[in-house]
Amino acid sequence: MKEENFSETDSLKLINEMISKVKRSYVTKGIASMVWGVLIITCSLLTWAEVRYNWDPGFDVWLLVFLALIPQIFFSIKEKRSRKFTAHDETTTTYVWSAFAISIFILSFYNSKFGSEQATTLFMMLYGIPTFITGGMFKFKPMIVGGLICWALSVVSVFTPVDADMLLMAGSGLFAWLIPGIILWNRYQKQRRENV
Amino acid sequence: MFKDLDPILHSQLRLAVVSLLISVKEAEFTFLREKTNSSAGNLSVQLNKLKEAGYVHITKQFKDNYPQTLCRITKKGVAAFEVYVNALRSYISKDE
Repeated sequence: MKEENFSETDSLKLINEMISKVKRSYVTKGIASMVWGVLIITCSLLTWAEVRYNWDPGFDVWLLVFLALIPQIFFSIKEKRSRKFTAHDETTTTYVWSAFAISIFILSFYNSKFGSEQATTLFMMLYGIPTFITGGMFKFKPMIVGGLICWALSVVSVFTPVDADMLLMAGSGLFAWLIPGIILWNRYQKQRRENV
Repeated sequence: MFKDLDPILHSQLRLAVVSLLISVKEAEFTFLREKTNSSAGNLSVQLNKLKEAGYVHITKQFKDNYPQTLCRITKKGVAAFEVYVNALRSYISKDE
């Protein structure tokens, strides 16, 4: 970059160019979102099969959710370490998703203690909260829509039997995380190709 | 009456750096170098000028046994940038 006199219009152009460069740098791969989506869909469909066909896998399939936290944390740390800047919104999203994780843990604990069959309604309501907020913060429509779908399915689940609730739960995993994750992954790949 | 443009900011590389830093919480030196396509030496000099003006805060630390320089814009820097952009707008609207 040359150090020479430049006009006021050039200055504004330069400011816009730099701000756009930062925006383009802030592309998440969406791996964590995809992992979480696949897991919720898998656990929901396995539970649906358990209820529907009286099938016993021999363990609580929802324990897989806690196992998934390990790759989730791993990918998040790896992604953060490889990034050469910290965004303004990062602290907020960390708190939002931590609050979600704690709430899910408490609800799972409550569920294991009292065995409420209606808990799926509450789980889907919780799924909607961080998804909707994150989508809104980053103006990422697929997540905003995903959050709204979680809440709509949560309301529907009040009127449906337990096995159908599990299919609704799989639907919330699909719309809140798997589809947005795939979109993010495609965006990341597209940007990588453009930068080559 | 039009405001004078801040001479600290009215320099291509320093303005580019401040524009990048205003968009993030903090950034590594290497990130600033990549995005501005500048040399390490020139960027260091300009960052020091911004630091002396109180517009940028620089932290040096180690990450994975390698030195790392982190830069973040200060409140004074944000205020100066806002004044600069408003001054630019008033110049441009006069031209139009």
